[in-house]
Amino acid sequence: MGLADIFEKYPNRQYIMFGGKGGLGKTTFSAATAYYLAKKGKRVLVFSVDPQASLSDIFERDIFGKGNVEILPNLYACEVDADKRIRDYQEEIRQKIISMYGMKKIPEEIESYIRASSAEPAMEESAIFDAVVDIVVQGDFDYYIYDLVPLGHALYYLSMASIYDAWLEKITALREKMREYDKAIATMRREEESEEDQIYNELMYIKERIGASSKIMTDREKTAFFFVLTPEEMIIADTEKAGKLFAKYNVPLAGYVVNRVLDRDLLNQNIPQYLKNRIETQSEALAMIEQKFGASVLAKVPEFDSEIKGLETIRELAEVMFEEKLS
Amino acid sequence: MNEKDKEKNKKKKPGGIIGFLRDFTYGMATHGMARHALKTRSSMEHLFILITMGDMLGIPILPPYYSLRLLPHVVPQITTWKRRMLREKDFVDSMY
Repeated sequence: MGLADIFEKYPNRQYIMFGGKGGLGKTTFSAATAYYLAKKGKRVLVFSVDPQASLSDIFERDIFGKGNVEILPNLYACEVDADKRIRDYQEEIRQKIISMYGMKKIPEEIESYIRASSAEPAMEESAIFDAVVDIVVQGDFDYYIYDLVPLGHALYYLSMASIYDAWLEKITALREKMREYDKAIATMRREEESEEDQIYNELMYIKERIGASSKIMTDREKTAFFFVLTPEEMIIADTEKAGKLFAKYNVPLAGYVVNRVLDRDLLNQNIPQYLKNRIETQSEALAMIEQKFGASVLAKVPEFDSEIKGLETIRELAEVMFEEKLS
Repeated sequence: MNEKDKEKNKKKKPGGIIGFLRDFTYGMATHGMARHALKTRSSMEHLFILITMGDMLGIPILPPYYSLRLLPHVVPQITTWKRRMLREKDFVDSMY
């Protein structure tokens, strides 16, 4: 089965992700898949939250922090500026405090807490995944292609989401207990019940957001996660390890795409010894890939003679990946 | 004061002999209980702030992205909370 068959067979899988170590071709595959689907008449958004995002480079357009930019009819690209998002979010909290209490200025200890928060671990991951939820809930597109930050981030977030979840359970229970006390006190003092608990509502909101963001990565119906690897022993070992970790967090693996495969026919030509050696070691690695991942390998993409950059080469890559001529 | 608040106040404090009797029985029977409940409630409030805003005291408990959402709602309690947490020799004692 090839990549094109997978897309045809599972039309509900609208969240597409390419994962793998850095530099293996996640962004190029994301762009080429977006190109292919757009040419098939689907509305596609390819987006990245990586601060060193390369969608701008590959599409040869500066799209960083500019929202959804139309690249071709049906094909949109977006690079989220995570730092700016954090800054805006902090400002929103400040404004809320000011308007809630009619303050002229945020008290110093509160202000320093807000400022310090941006330096804390996991702030960025949370902001990123929250941004992803924002993008996806708008629902304007048939496909969302998520150019992932390197694997570690995603796994870290998924494990964090489950801890968050347990934590939220606990404090929501505490909050409910507090609410009961409020009611009891009000009854004893024959007062009217106090107004709704805003914090409880916020907790419910947070729970919903975290649920939504981890669901985007773990929804069996809607998500397809593809691993990108190259025919090298170390990469294969890493991919296998990551595959197991992802399975543990219920990320639905759709298959593997092998990148940078050298053409064996070259051996018949007059080529330097080092290239011959490379081809031989690749053959061994490819046999290993076959044995380990077998039918889950959906495409083998050859090494291109130039960098994938600009729509013309993206089209060429898409044609190879999906084994189809595109206009 | 608008009409609604007036109404509320009226309900809260009925005057005359009935009001007096009501306050009297409240004082005799339930005031202690209410006081105790209020105290427990405020301990819980402080526990809640501790587990959401702990890093203000150098106790990182939760990644701050979502706890920032809760911050505006606890601003008025922060000062008393800090005072209380830091007054105790062992702040864990103060939770219970």
